[in-house]
Amino acid sequence: MKALRFILIFALFFGLVSCEKEIFPDLNQPFELVVIDAWLTDKPGPQQIFITRSQPYFENEFPEKVEGAIVQVISSDSVVYNFSENDSAYTWTAADSCSFVEVGQSYFLFVEVDGQQHSAFTTVGVVPEIDSVRYNFEEAIPNFIPEDHYLAEFYARDPEGLGNAYWIRGWKNGEPLSKPSEISIAFDAGGSPGAAVDGVQFIQPIRQSLNPFDQEEAGNLFNPPYLLGDSVYIEIHSISAEAFFFLTEVATQTNRAGGFAALFAQPVANVSSNIFNLDQNSTTKAVGYFNVAAVSSAGLRLSLTEAEDARDRFETRP
Amino acid sequence: MQKTLVMVLSLGLFHYAVAQQNFTMSGYISDGSNGEDLIGATVYIEEIQGGTVTNVYGFYSLTLPAGTYEVKYQYIGFQDQVRIIKLDKDLKLDIEMPVADQELEAVVVTAEAEDVNVSSIEMSTVELDVKTITKLPAFAGEVDIIKSIQLLPGVSTVGEGASGFNVRGGGVGQNLILLDEAPVYQSSHLFGFFSVFNPDAVKDVKLYKGGIPAKYGGRLSSILDIRMKEGNKKSYDVSGGVGTIFSRLAVEGPVVKDKASFIVAGRRSYIDVLAAPFTDLLDDGAGLFFYDLTAKANVDIDDKNRLFLSGYFGRDVFKFDANQGFDWGNQTATLRWNHLFSDRFFSNFTGFYSNYDYAFAFGENDLDKFEWRSRIKTYNFKPEFTYFLNASNEVTFGADVLLYEFLPAEAEGVSNGEVTNISLDKKQALEASVYLANDHKVTDKLSAQYGLRLSHFNYLGPGAVYSYGESTPGQRRPLIGIEQSEDWETIQTYTNLEPRLGFKFQLSPVSSLKASYNRMNQYIHLISNTAASLPIDVWQPSTNNISPQQGNQVALGYFRNFKGNMFETSAEVYYKWNENQVDYIDGADIFINSFLEGDLLSGRGRAYGLELYAKKSQGRLTGWISYTLGKSELRVNGINYLNDFTNRTGEWYPTRFDQRHNLTLTTNYQLNKRISLSSVFTYISGTPTTFPTDRMSIQGYVIPVLDNVRNNVRIPDYHRWDLSATIDNVWRGKTRRNGKVRSGSDYLVISIYNLYGRENPFAIYFSQGINRQPMNLPVETGATQTAILGTILPSVSYNFKF
Repeated sequence: MKALRFILIFALFFGLVSCEKEIFPDLNQPFELVVIDAWLTDKPGPQQIFITRSQPYFENEFPEKVEGAIVQVISSDSVVYNFSENDSAYTWTAADSCSFVEVGQSYFLFVEVDGQQHSAFTTVGVVPEIDSVRYNFEEAIPNFIPEDHYLAEFYARDPEGLGNAYWIRGWKNGEPLSKPSEISIAFDAGGSPGAAVDGVQFIQPIRQSLNPFDQEEAGNLFNPPYLLGDSVYIEIHSISAEAFFFLTEVATQTNRAGGFAALFAQPVANVSSNIFNLDQNSTTKAVGYFNVAAVSSAGLRLSLTEAEDARDRFETRP
Repeated sequence: MQKTLVMVLSLGLFHYAVAQQNFTMSGYISDGSNGEDLIGATVYIEEIQGGTVTNVYGFYSLTLPAGTYEVKYQYIGFQDQVRIIKLDKDLKLDIEMPVADQELEAVVVTAEAEDVNVSSIEMSTVELDVKTITKLPAFAGEVDIIKSIQLLPGVSTVGEGASGFNVRGGGVGQNLILLDEAPVYQSSHLFGFFSVFNPDAVKDVKLYKGGIPAKYGGRLSSILDIRMKEGNKKSYDVSGGVGTIFSRLAVEGPVVKDKASFIVAGRRSYIDVLAAPFTDLLDDGAGLFFYDLTAKANVDIDDKNRLFLSGYFGRDVFKFDANQGFDWGNQTATLRWNHLFSDRFFSNFTGFYSNYDYAFAFGENDLDKFEWRSRIKTYNFKPEFTYFLNASNEVTFGADVLLYEFLPAEAEGVSNGEVTNISLDKKQALEASVYLANDHKVTDKLSAQYGLRLSHFNYLGPGAVYSYGESTPGQRRPLIGIEQSEDWETIQTYTNLEPRLGFKFQLSPVSSLKASYNRMNQYIHLISNTAASLPIDVWQPSTNNISPQQGNQVALGYFRNFKGNMFETSAEVYYKWNENQVDYIDGADIFINSFLEGDLLSGRGRAYGLELYAKKSQGRLTGWISYTLGKSELRVNGINYLNDFTNRTGEWYPTRFDQRHNLTLTTNYQLNKRISLSSVFTYISGTPTTFPTDRMSIQGYVIPVLDNVRNNVRIPDYHRWDLSATIDNVWRGKTRRNGKVRSGSDYLVISIYNLYGRENPFAIYFSQGINRQPMNLPVETGATQTAILGTILPSVSYNFKF
């Protein structure tokens, strides 16, 4: 964790000379585009598709559901799943609480809203089982993390063959790790398709991507990621290669550290979308993403035994 | 046009072949105090109302009809030397110029003093005197060559901390930075805060923004030609200083008096040395420092042969412990041999090696780690010849052969003990050019400089050769084929002819009109899609998928001096049009990506502007005012396509470094013999950026939505005022109580950067912030304006010489 300390000190130094202020510039007229947020999984329970509109950038409200849409998912073996409208979303619930999702199967999304027909297409990729989850003991880092603490790590092996992509989603004590900086995606066992790491355990930055580093306020000390009694829950979602690129773009566009990091920032740009208007001549565009995932999961509470194991490994580390 | 050019060139060469009995006077002009060659010193012949200037090695040659001439040797800061010369045979005349008396009262205004700016054919060039810039207020008190040239017209930066510089609306990667002829790929320490050139070792800095002579090529926007000192040929000197960031030391002296000399100059940041006793953070091999070392030796073998060996070694190191961290640096080595075939035929042979590399290493143990090293190596051989045909023609010709070796990634990942090699293929390329040019004084009033450069680029194996299909403009292109190439196999070649033209028309003894045209080709590309260029940005050769960049520029200038050259003024306009400019798809992955070529876009560029400059170089109050009105735009299909969803035809959009107004006012006031005060004021129009209109929520993430426009708004303007005071002889050189004067000299510079502490905006970004937001409430998003240096920064540096 020495690297982390260094990065923090570096940030602190530039924090002294750099400065930031919130501003409220006038923005152009909003588009209020239809947004289709369709990330389905093979998990038991209802599957939800959210259809909303984009809002003015400074409108800090929950987006409202677009009403009266027709929403269907059609599998490559021609079964139609009708999603019915309820309070906040369009939902499909299996009669027998089984999932319709099969690895290798392709799915077609159909959404009709405001007289426009939108569609998307995806194929379900494979997902590896999570072999194990454990905690690693770390000593306090003076001025940054004031107490001894633990880092969570999971182990899973990417199956051989190039082109598998995953979204690793984490929860600490039941709360999702949902900060933009916590978006964790993998292409095969590594971080990108152009530098392929295939058929091995996920690389360490991905295995350890479920550790929240939070401060109450800028300049404060960081809360320890995990302490005795905390729990971590992990899901690996298989995603399409296109969805991997989409999430990469989401991370770039939402995870903006500011300050000195502005030097290294990429320009603001639209993220991609796999939603298409079926009428090629239509100028009405919908945005959003459709992915169907197979999911594997695991969780672990940091019990006294786990903590002792972690300390033992720390004491006997090479 | 090219045919015409060849004809004109031939005419120029042979027009004077039949002439009367001519003799040549030639030699070297040097600084009498230390033997350093003077670059650009004037040799003025009263009888012909003209003359020549010394080349970069201090050599001049003039061939004139037999006769008696009054020859005046001039150089700024030195006393004029006048000789009456009876030219009845070839003469070798080496001149040592005495340094001008620094007496303030004696401001001599001579009739035909330094008017090189008006009388020379060169335009669109910028020269810096190292003595001047040492007195200017500097960021953290560190004299900085790259930052100083940004005070001149047509040169700018996107902001503090950004590395490199922009010339006439061009990108950072479109400048060729040469240190003693060898290219320096990364000109910054600590990202962009300091430049890598040690001012103690630099003799001359010249930036070509336009009208680029045929002997230079390879980049679109500019050539920054930095020449290192040769070292004092007369006596030993030790100079150095302690600043806020660096401590510096330089040693120079003769090896054989007046024959051979050397200089070694080093700098190192020392904050880690000071901090070490107070923190354990720097134990276990950790470090945070940067340094550079410049060394040079030269020997005058005989009257006809001189040899120069110079080297540069610089590095930035950020190590977390012995195994983790990152570092980057340049190394260059240059060997040059000046040979005089005759007193009219000067030649120089250069061979250099240049290496730029950076490395990352992460991982606390060998079971899980990541290591990545990237480098670009360049080998070169460059013969150059100058034939001083007569007083009216100076012919230059030569060749330039560059061999590149690109290693974008030697990388390895270890995951739980399993090793994966993620290295990218080595790429090789050969860039070879030949050129021929003539400086031709057509009449007393009209001079011309015309030349041709023929450049050839050969993209060579080994490694995978990728083929890509078409995609919707602005989106990732699909890979359709991979072939393996043999080592040194030719994969793709490009050949281009680059005409260079310049004219000067002398309107009066104090004014002239100049015009130029140049075409440049750039075969290697800096791949960078961040706000500022980074040390880890990769250089990419032109390939079967990436065409060379091609740039054209026309410029027109009016030059006028006033009051016996006390005031120099100029006005220039330029227009540039460029092809094959590199841009990126949204979400491009530019690091360790085998398929990088599929993420690159190609488009057109254009830039135009007006540059005004006025300088006062004599008297107690000196300084200059520089103003640039400029525009720089790109047009790339798939970017800024507004509502054209079908074809995605791009419309023109301003580049990140498009700055409408750029004004700097630099002044120096010599208060008394010991103290001088300097001030720099800078005003730059806000750089363009893009604002979103909407936000959308996907899986809980709040993502900005934009119209398909780029850079449609401006961040607020930038302005800053810096002050400094230079106090000479604070300790050394001062008279002691016993009446003796301490040996040597020294000076103290007190600087205040950003005097009124303005929070100059670098960027505006839109986000939900970095903190965790409550799950039960809507995500809050906002806009933040960020300043890299938003505060007043005072600093002190102490400099000595003995």
